[in-house]
Amino acid sequence: MNTQPQDLHASKSSLSRRNFLKGSAGLVVAFTIVDPRMAFAAAGGDGVSVASPASSKLSAWLAINPDNTATLFTGKVETGTGVETALAQIAAEELEFPVDRLEVVMGTTSKTVDQGPTYGSMSVRYAGPQIRNAAAAARQALLDMAAEHFKLPAQQLVAREGTVSVIGAPANTISFGELVAGKQLDIDIEASGTGFGLQVAPKAPVKDPSTYAVIGQSVRRKDIPGKVTGQFTYIQDVKIDGMIHGRVVRPYGVGAELVSVDESGLKDIPGFVQVVRRGNFLGVVAETEWAAIQAAEKLGSTLHPEGPQSAQAKWGEWTGLPQQDEIWDTLRKTTGTNESVAAKGSVDMALPFAAKTIQATYQTPFQMHGSIGPSCAIADVRPDGATFWAGTQMPHQMRADMAKMLGLPEDRIEVIWHEASGAYGRNGLEHVIPDAALLSQAVGRPVRVQWMRWDEHGWEPKGPPIVQDLTGALDENGNVVAWRHHMWVPTTGDTRLVAVELAGLPEIGGEGTGNASITYAYNFDNADVACHGMGRVGLLTAWLRSPAQFETTYAMEAFIDELAAEAKQDPLTFRLKYLNDQRAIDVLRAAAEAYGWESRPSPAPQQDGKMATGRGIAWVNRDDVRVATIAEVTVDRESGEIRVKRVVVAHDCGLVVNPDGLRNQIEGNIIQSISRTLHEEVTFDTSRVTSLDWEGYPILRFEEIPDQIDMVFVNNRPEYPSYGGGEPSTCPTAAVISNAVYDAVGVRLRQTPFRPERVKAAMSQTG
Amino acid sequence: MADSITLNVNGQDHTVQADPDSMLLYALRNDLGLHGPKFGCGLGQCGACTVIIDGAATRSCVTPVSAVQGNKIVTLEGLGTIDSPHPLQQAFIDEQAAQCGYCINGMIMTAKAFLNENPDPSRDDIKQALNENLCRCGTHMRIVRAVERAAKGGQG
Ligand code: FES
Ligand code: FES
Repeated sequence: MNTQPQDLHASKSSLSRRNFLKGSAGLVVAFTIVDPRMAFAAAGGDGVSVASPASSKLSAWLAINPDNTATLFTGKVETGTGVETALAQIAAEELEFPVDRLEVVMGTTSKTVDQGPTYGSMSVRYAGPQIRNAAAAARQALLDMAAEHFKLPAQQLVAREGTVSVIGAPANTISFGELVAGKQLDIDIEASGTGFGLQVAPKAPVKDPSTYAVIGQSVRRKDIPGKVTGQFTYIQDVKIDGMIHGRVVRPYGVGAELVSVDESGLKDIPGFVQVVRRGNFLGVVAETEWAAIQAAEKLGSTLHPEGPQSAQAKWGEWTGLPQQDEIWDTLRKTTGTNESVAAKGSVDMALPFAAKTIQATYQTPFQMHGSIGPSCAIADVRPDGATFWAGTQMPHQMRADMAKMLGLPEDRIEVIWHEASGAYGRNGLEHVIPDAALLSQAVGRPVRVQWMRWDEHGWEPKGPPIVQDLTGALDENGNVVAWRHHMWVPTTGDTRLVAVELAGLPEIGGEGTGNASITYAYNFDNADVACHGMGRVGLLTAWLRSPAQFETTYAMEAFIDELAAEAKQDPLTFRLKYLNDQRAIDVLRAAAEAYGWESRPSPAPQQDGKMATGRGIAWVNRDDVRVATIAEVTVDRESGEIRVKRVVVAHDCGLVVNPDGLRNQIEGNIIQSISRTLHEEVTFDTSRVTSLDWEGYPILRFEEIPDQIDMVFVNNRPEYPSYGGGEPSTCPTAAVISNAVYDAVGVRLRQTPFRPERVKAAMSQTG
Repeated sequence: MADSITLNVNGQDHTVQADPDSMLLYALRNDLGLHGPKFGCGLGQCGACTVIIDGAATRSCVTPVSAVQGNKIVTLEGLGTIDSPHPLQQAFIDEQAAQCGYCINGMIMTAKAFLNENPDPSRDDIKQALNENLCRCGTHMRIVRAVERAAKGGQG
């Protein structure tokens, strides 16, 4: 394949067929299937670079194939949110191409531009415009080519459905595939910046959003037919020629030293290859997956090992974790940074004049991502290059991390991406990559590693515990005169890698510091909102859907309910009194209207009988998305069991790309956050995590799902940009349920999870 | 030690070399290349690995291969394909009932066995039938609707 001259700095307006042809000597490679063997050869010892394509080339984003299908290349990845389809819609819209003939290649580092990791509901918001502009530049280039073809000015042509026609003479039509004629779109479109900040084809003529025909449609997801028939290839399903199987054996205690490994009996396992030990990193490799599991079990990889010395791998005593029931005190005592979110007036001077002051502490535990499929990766580490097959949410970042770990140049490393089980932030998918790398490096063959259930539950990065103190004061008329909200937040972005730490290799990634994940929007006269951020406390912690803002929204929105109740005012009216943010007001009103909210204070009038019913409301502004949620719950006074019966969500993420896709996301957020509110708490002793399976870490089941989840989209209009909908609707749920329980039975729940015993205990205290 | 074990899967006999105590899931996935059934927990707790054996939804992660020689095993692939999906699979497509989809094998296979026995279930019956299957993405509402849709079509 020819390399291209790099002098085509033509702006899109000066693109001509001549320029295009000059730069299009290469052939289109339609990467319809990522063929592992191709990649294997490409990254081999022949000096071929597997670097990412240059973001300034149109071919880095789009290929038009001779059969008039097209391929979109994006560094973003699908995590089950439907973003593949949403990004395809954005590209199809600008390209004027049928979305069902547009295929998407995601994540693979040698085929895609680094558009930043896929997290934080930021794909549509940031990658969307990058893709939109690239596709608009492509449409313009195609029109220019057609102008040459028809010998007419481009103004007399129209692009539609993958063809260009002469206006007024529709018989004169040529398809994109015919125009491009099997060539690569080797056209310079200009690009600057990197990752989320990448600006692509700034001069491209993007469409007026009011004319959108594909954006805003509930286009069916591209991946679902394969997923419901077993024909879809998840990372867990990838097989590579010559691949063998590995399993890791994690330390008994999180920080325990490996004392000795007794290998007796391992050779009797048919297919056993070898034990790999590097510092405290321990793993086994075998010809078959079953043999690897058997060998790892002998060394101590089981659901409930009896102790650090109970299996053939012997670990030292290590008890460095804090006590679980003292974790929130531990946070208060941990040094860190102080960050002020709001400092208005003086809370201290206002408090002595208040008619009524109330204080409350909210506590939330470690929680986990709990992906249904344990993390998996394949590594093929060679002396002069490496290939990874991975489901990570940040393939380009992992390429850099692995380059560091293996001491190889980045352009000799390829990460071939395949979708995994949903990860909701950062689970084990990044960590299993260096696991596989160390095993492959040791045996000189491609090694597939899948974590066992207990590896995932035990060693995936958790969402951190958080403690929050709130003080609120009212005057004699029930007006808020002071508001204080202090939070203690460990890091939610510790990107150091488990295997690197265990093996004692030079640090990769960073610890990060917890920060105030909150948007404080009330206009109280005296307010003091501050965050005490810290690094790792006990367990490794990283992004878990709406990192820390799920927790801070819980405290803020439950405590304002406490003040409303104290003032004997309707919780919705009370909130509206202190808000100027019009989009917040709009979602609260929209949710109230859809629910049929009646103005009255909480708690509800006394109810007799075993079951009590209540309603709760809360809202959030997460990254410019406004969400208001209202739920009706029942509380069983005898068992303490809470059921969420009906949920109404008013959601403003601006222009919605795919309404059904967004509804799917919101339902997912609501159910997952109900689960986190009612059930979820990681348990641990001073050595290790002890909730290592679904019995130890229960999640919501079918019997407990709401009867109904209704949604209203607010400001879903072309003049609004599309913000991301992947996670904001998680945030209000804990507060909503806490507020609804108070409405039902007059009991305030200030610690998650709201398991029946805790609810019963709370009811007996007030009752 | 590895034995020759014959498994009847999706209507065909296959002989695999496997430790008789090894679990069916690994033979299906690694020897027969059937990726419908998934490894989720290996503990019988989540349902991701579900197959239908002689009509009953069964967790292949805790079912030794030696125990199912001579039994009729059906996997997700045995129901239908992308081009010709089974009505239950079509109902999942119509309801767009997946997010990551990793749990969906278990949902469909459990629902299939259930609908064969209960062609006209209530919504609560469906929830009950799926209660031991876990979904982390929170696709439950759609999964229930998909099973309902298939049942209404008389096409479990
Ligand atoms: S993988 Fe078999 S039940 Fe979870
Ligand atoms: S759809 Fe992801 S686990 Fe169910």
